[in-house]
Amino acid sequence: MNPGTIERLGATIGGIIVAVVAFYALYKDWKSIGVENQVFKLMLALLGLGGILALLAALNVVGFAPKGS
Amino acid sequence: MSVAALAHDAHGEVDQLYLETRELRLQGFLLFLVSDCVLFSSFIFAYLYMRNSGQGWPPPGIQRLDVAFAAWNSVVLFGSGATMHYALENFKHGNFMRYMLLLLATIVLGAGFLGGQAYEYNHLIFGEHVTWWGSGIFGASFFTLTGMHGLHVFIGVCYLTVLVLQSAGGVYTRGKFFGITAGTLYWHFVDVIWVVLFSIFYLL
Amino acid sequence: MTAAAVHAGGLADHIHPEPQGFVRRYVFSLDHKIIGIQYLITGFVFFMLSGLLAEAIRTQLLNPNGGFVAPQTYNEVYTIHGSAMVWLVVIPLLTGGFGNLVFPVQIGARDVAFPWLNMLSFWIFPVAGLMLFSSFLMGAPTAGWMEYPPISLQGAAGTSMWCAAIFLVGVSSTITGINFVVTILKMRAPGMTFTRMPLFVWGQFATAPLLMIATTALAAALAALFIEREFGVPFYDPTKGGSPVMWQHMFWFYSHPAVYIMILPGFGIISEVLPTFARKPIFGYKLIAFSSMAIALMGFMVWAHHMFTSGLAPFLQLPFMILTFAIGVPTGIKIFSWTATLWGGKIHYTTAMLFATGFVALFTIGGITGIFLAAIPFDLHVHGTYFIVAHLHYVLVGGSLMAIFAGMYYWFPKMSGRLMDERLGHLHFWLFFIGFNGTFIPMHWLGMLGMPREVATYDPQFTFWNRFETFSSYLMAISILIFFVNVIWSIRNGKRAGANPWGGRTLEWMVPSPPHYYNFKHIPTVYGLPYDFSQPLPYQGLDEELTDSPPPVAAGAH
Repeated sequence: MNPGTIERLGATIGGIIVAVVAFYALYKDWKSIGVENQVFKLMLALLGLGGILALLAALNVVGFAPKGS
Repeated sequence: MSVAALAHDAHGEVDQLYLETRELRLQGFLLFLVSDCVLFSSFIFAYLYMRNSGQGWPPPGIQRLDVAFAAWNSVVLFGSGATMHYALENFKHGNFMRYMLLLLATIVLGAGFLGGQAYEYNHLIFGEHVTWWGSGIFGASFFTLTGMHGLHVFIGVCYLTVLVLQSAGGVYTRGKFFGITAGTLYWHFVDVIWVVLFSIFYLL
Repeated sequence: MTAAAVHAGGLADHIHPEPQGFVRRYVFSLDHKIIGIQYLITGFVFFMLSGLLAEAIRTQLLNPNGGFVAPQTYNEVYTIHGSAMVWLVVIPLLTGGFGNLVFPVQIGARDVAFPWLNMLSFWIFPVAGLMLFSSFLMGAPTAGWMEYPPISLQGAAGTSMWCAAIFLVGVSSTITGINFVVTILKMRAPGMTFTRMPLFVWGQFATAPLLMIATTALAAALAALFIEREFGVPFYDPTKGGSPVMWQHMFWFYSHPAVYIMILPGFGIISEVLPTFARKPIFGYKLIAFSSMAIALMGFMVWAHHMFTSGLAPFLQLPFMILTFAIGVPTGIKIFSWTATLWGGKIHYTTAMLFATGFVALFTIGGITGIFLAAIPFDLHVHGTYFIVAHLHYVLVGGSLMAIFAGMYYWFPKMSGRLMDERLGHLHFWLFFIGFNGTFIPMHWLGMLGMPREVATYDPQFTFWNRFETFSSYLMAISILIFFVNVIWSIRNGKRAGANPWGGRTLEWMVPSPPHYYNFKHIPTVYGLPYDFSQPLPYQGLDEELTDSPPPVAAGAH
């Protein structure tokens, strides 16, 4: 198991957890009012997106792969 | 739960002055984040403009960045965003212990991200000899943008540490906790900037 | 919705204790009015310094081989002249100066949203200004206020100091912008909806987002230039993969909105002065208000009209040309509205009114030459010539500076409780008007004949008109000295002004001159626009302590 694989594994699991947590929090807070809550909702959505991107990068679906990994 | 509902003081009366000044501070802080966004956007424009100047990317002689490591480090930072969100939620619901634990977790994960960035910088600078000033527009754009971001994360970690100390000292009550809200907004902002930077440096 | 219920116990009722001691009252003051005066004083000091630089330019250009200064020094002089006038004079005077001084009272607030940040904003300003002028001691920048690379990469240490100074004054601007947006959004008096705000407030409301957003873009460009110069990090150096055109994009993305920062508050001042001295409601209130917002927004879409000669692909240049033509429309709407305001009014030729009407005339000329320049074929011919210098001075001096003078004559009585001398004021205006036009009209044809800007010498065929311009500029300088003499004399010896010497109807005229530190004992409720001269004042709940001044005059009775 080289470091690259461990990192990918961690990123896969972590990406799933982050995306699930973020979208779940978004779902729960969907009806909140007030400008700061709107900003939080936007940020949570982008956080979830970030988790998905990290997951996809870990699985080599997107992104450059360094040579030989 | 709206802040207005929480802002009653000991006598059950609404602290109008606090509510009004809190509104001002919130708007001011959000506008500050907007201007910080413009700052990052300007450098992102510069990076994309330079990258598009036809040399091919990465430029000759420079290796592609390590996506696997960055994906892992990103997840650390995104995780800290999740813990920060739940820290605020717990504070609002009165679970002080859980709030403190989640806040500390955020700090640890944030510091962990910075450690990861230090590792990446070390590998680039000493391992691959890619430096800020000596590697053309690749070094210039990468180190400037991730460096600015890292500086923002560092400031955030410092601020969150101050929050820990203030919270332990009882500064924040369930009716008055704008410092925590502002910290959460800032921390999410730093997270979202990283989503963009991760995408444009490692995924593009 | 009564006044009492809305803000009980809130900011409207919260009067902090009066500051004690000279330092707390006049040096490190949190009072927006004092901070405004501090900005005005500091801005006018830099104006005098930068004006001396301008006279150095004109004196050098008396003869083709001037000999007044060395060519390298000449380059430093016009660079600092331009930089100082933009960043240390016009922007601070109009936003930090008149903005701070007037609009919080006009919206019925006690202060701005963040008074401590306001004070910080101010104190950054003289420090940054001193830094900019200190660059003369270390080899001032020489590439013009635009500092294009690669020349700006090669300049002496003063260029890095220039970067740092402008960056710092930009921080001051950004903080002010945030402060003003929040103040206008959140601290208006009860009943003052957006469409009941004075037009000066609309001017500041259009400018503040530009201060916030555009200035930060400049900060990025400057930071990149600085780290490239000092640490060798390549951004703009083409030999290392960077791009000089990228600097131009980043610089002009800020600097075009910057010119709107320099004129929108001026538009607001004119929109206050004209109705007051024509005793008529402003024509087209909503047109003026919304066209200001349109100009602010569209200002972000036209920056490359400064770059028509930089080698951009034609298909990219065309949208900028079209949008630049388009942005003339909201401004033209204003010119027509102001003219219609004057039509049929009873005109009182106070000095403020002279400068305001002069503004309308001269800014129109500057705006028209701007439309000429929007046309790419014409711009290709005159870019980098004195035609551009003529255009920019018509809008910035014939426009912004005249608005600043109008604002001074208009609001000096409110700040100080005394009127400025009207005879000296008229003398100032006429000498200035004649001197200004004499200086800048010939530049139009000199530019079209090919005289390049930012060069210490010129072809001898241009000698007569250069001399004409220089002597006219001396006339302008004399007129400005008269203005300063008037200001300083009037502070002590001017005729006492009451609360409302001009019969204005906006809220600043409803409080004593100068106002109390808390502005209003009770925040009034607002029921209408301030400009309806034939109607009773649209306020309820004003303080009743204006016993020493006549009530505002009804239309026709003056």
